[in-house]
Formats: sequence, C-alpha cells, structure tokens
Amino acid sequence: MTHTLHRTGDIESLKEDFPMLTHVARGFNDIGAGERLKQMAKIARKYTELNFGDCKVANQFTMPPEEIMGKHTVGWQVVFNDKKSLIACMKELKEKNIGISVVVSGLFDEVFECCQKAGINPPLIEFALGIHGNEDKIWPPEILDFVTMCGHGLVSGHLVKKMVEDIKKKKVTVRKAAIELARPCLCGAFNPHRAAKLLKEMTQ
Amino acid sequence: MRIDIEKCVGCGRCVSYCPVGAIQIFRDEENPKKKKSRIDEDECVECGVCLRAQVCKPQAIYLPELNWPRVVRRAFSDPMVEHKETGVPGRGTEEMKTNEVTGRFKKGSWGMAVEVGRPGAGGRLKDLETIAMALAEKGIVFEPRNPVTFLFEDVKTGKLKPELKNEKVLSAIIEFEVKPDQLKGVLQALKDISKKVDTVFSVDLISFPAEGEKGPALKVAKQLGFPVYPNGKVNLGLGRVLNK
Repeated sequence: MTHTLHRTGDIESLKEDFPMLTHVARGFNDIGAGERLKQMAKIARKYTELNFGDCKVANQFTMPPEEIMGKHTVGWQVVFNDKKSLIACMKELKEKNIGISVVVSGLFDEVFECCQKAGINPPLIEFALGIHGNEDKIWPPEILDFVTMCGHGLVSGHLVKKMVEDIKKKKVTVRKAAIELARPCLCGAFNPHRAAKLLKEMTQ
Repeated sequence: MRIDIEKCVGCGRCVSYCPVGAIQIFRDEENPKKKKSRIDEDECVECGVCLRAQVCKPQAIYLPELNWPRVVRRAFSDPMVEHKETGVPGRGTEEMKTNEVTGRFKKGSWGMAVEVGRPGAGGRLKDLETIAMALAEKGIVFEPRNPVTFLFEDVKTGKLKPELKNEKVLSAIIEFEVKPDQLKGVLQALKDISKKVDTVFSVDLISFPAEGEKGPALKVAKQLGFPVYPNGKVNLGLGRVLNK
C-alpha cells in the first residue's frame, strides 16, 4: 500500500527525494497494461536513472531495466533528486495521456509546486501521522532515514550500520555502499543519491 | 527461510541483510573451531531478503515449504508474493494510488491506514489484533479487499484466527474509511492503544488537496498530538478507465 509514505529525514535531505510510482486500477485499466506501463517507464527513465524497479520483479541494481520493463503487470517505481527533471517528466506523462495512475511522494510544498508547473491538478493526497507504539523497537533517526526509503521494510538497519563500518574501514566506497543498500528494495523506491549523501555525512 | 548447516561456511555475510536481525552466528558443537549461521525461526518473517541478496557463496540459504499459518509471514513480508485474495503484491490495496479511476474515496470521509510493524521493526499479529479490536469498537468497517481482513475470525470485532496470533510479519496494514463523527474516537483509540502494543505502528490519512493541512481531519489529529509529516503522497490524477 503506502510504500513511499513515512520517509523520515531533515527537510534539506528530503528536498532531494521524490519517488514516483505508477499503478494500474484492477478492473478499470489493467487489461493490456504491460505495454502502457512500459511506455510510461521509458518516459520516466529519460529524466532519471537513479533507480527503477517493480516490486513483483526486481530493481535496476539486480536486473537490467529493459528486462524489468518487459515484465510489468501492476506498476513500477522511479526516484528523482531534482524538481526540474520531475517537472519535465510530469509534463510529458500528462501530454502522452497514457491513462495509468501516477503518484509522486515528497515534501508537499515541493511536489505541489512541481504539479503547478506541469499543469497538473492533483485530486488526492496522503498524509503520514507519525510512528506510535513501542518506539524502543525502531532504529535511531540516522538509521531510520535509510530504512524508511524502502516502505516494505526490506532495507535492514543492520546493513546500514555494516555499510557505515565498511566505508570507515575503506572496504567499500560511499557510492557502492549506497547501491548495496538499494539492492534489497525491490520496488526501486530507495534513493541511492540521497543514501550516498547521508552515508558521506555519517562517515566524515 | 533456513540455512543448510552442512553447506554453511560461517562467513556471516548474510547476517546484516536480515531486516529483523534473525540471523545469528554460533559455534559448531561438533567442531567448536568452526562458526555457522542459523536463522531464528521464531523471529524470521520469511521476507526472502537474505536469499535474494545472493551473498551466500555455498548457497546454504533456502526457502522451505511453508504451511498454514506460517505461510502468512511470507505473504505479508515478501512483496514478490501476491495475495491470492486481492491480487495485490505487498501488504495492502491500491488505496489512493488509483482513486481518480476507481472513485473509492469520496469527499465527506477519509481513508485511513494503520501499518503494524512499520518502520523496520516487524510485529506479531497479536498486536495487529489489539489495534483492530480497538478500532472495531469505534464502529469502523475493515476494507474488505485488504489482505489483513482475511485474517480475522470475526471481521466485525477484529478478532484474529487464533492460530495466527504469534505469527510475525514485517508489516501488515489495517485499512478503513473514517466518517466525520468517528474521526476523533478513532484517533484517540490509536493514541490509547499505542501503550498496549509490543511493536510500532505508522498511521496514514488520505484526504483531498482542497482540505489540506487546514482541513478538519488534520486539525483533530494535531489537537490529539499526532505529528503531521511535511512529506507524503500526491496522486497526480493521470489515470482513467481503459478496459472495455
């Protein structure tokens, strides 16, 4: 359901984090949706190559994007780190009018500004009303910022800690560590650009 | 998931990939100089991350055949598994993602979700039952297409099938619609229940941009002490009916 909601982090970091997803509506536009999803994925990938995936298939770090595109059934995810590319992508998706739903997550002020510039009037929004319950069970904020980039919870906080240790020991580069963290997130909603920046801050 | 002890070389490369920390290193009883990895089956949520990570050179990690009720762990923790009841991979429904096509949420009420075990903690289904029963007391009706709804013995009270209570999942989502006269009671119930569960849960609210942060739902949420994140999801409204 809400796998691109609840991303934690400071405002500056979230300003470079815009996951986009597409999803078919079962019973309404799912027949022959594979080709439409592929068309839309090709458009999105012109504007961002940061990540791309389909939670029923794989992400671009575990399977070539062309292969993923041939297997879409219900939707895909990409992630942007700048508004200019996001707006251009939104504009083209609107112009091409392919007919499959698109959702963008991010700071509301930033996403609404992009929508306005792309001539889009969003009909519905979803808010995150926080984490509740036994908060002793969750990772500290600096780890949670990574973990929440995969809404399915597939990116382990233990792996984040391991990558931080490995960077400090010079066993792995920041970029490679960010990609290693992106691999378990099947959807492709994890933002390796943002992860690399966060890792750099944690290891400097 | 399981680790074939005969094949495992005890390198420990799989350990950090487990989102719930269920993989441990231990000394081989027969040969104390050797280390092995094992999976704590009670803690494992069957998400498959360790297997997909492809870090086990001797290929000691494997997925055994899962039977009821354990199979529920995988259905709620591995997004590659499609719930046969809903056809939706992952844990929930299409919810707001396709609303401009389906018209599921209409003005005058709000969509809500409670994600048990999120973020990154996982949780036992008995906690889900505790939350669901508290919500049911407030008169909410569980979303019939959500896979969680199929776990209830009594869909009116939120009582789980008893054999499921101790099953652990990465997360499971309770979805429902809230009417204006239910909102305060539902949010207060979530506040109260937060002290009675062993894990964490995240709360979502689906609304219309015209309402925004100044709308009645967020006003009530803020009054009750719920934080409202500055980031969230925006449906762009680009979908339409295409099936003929």
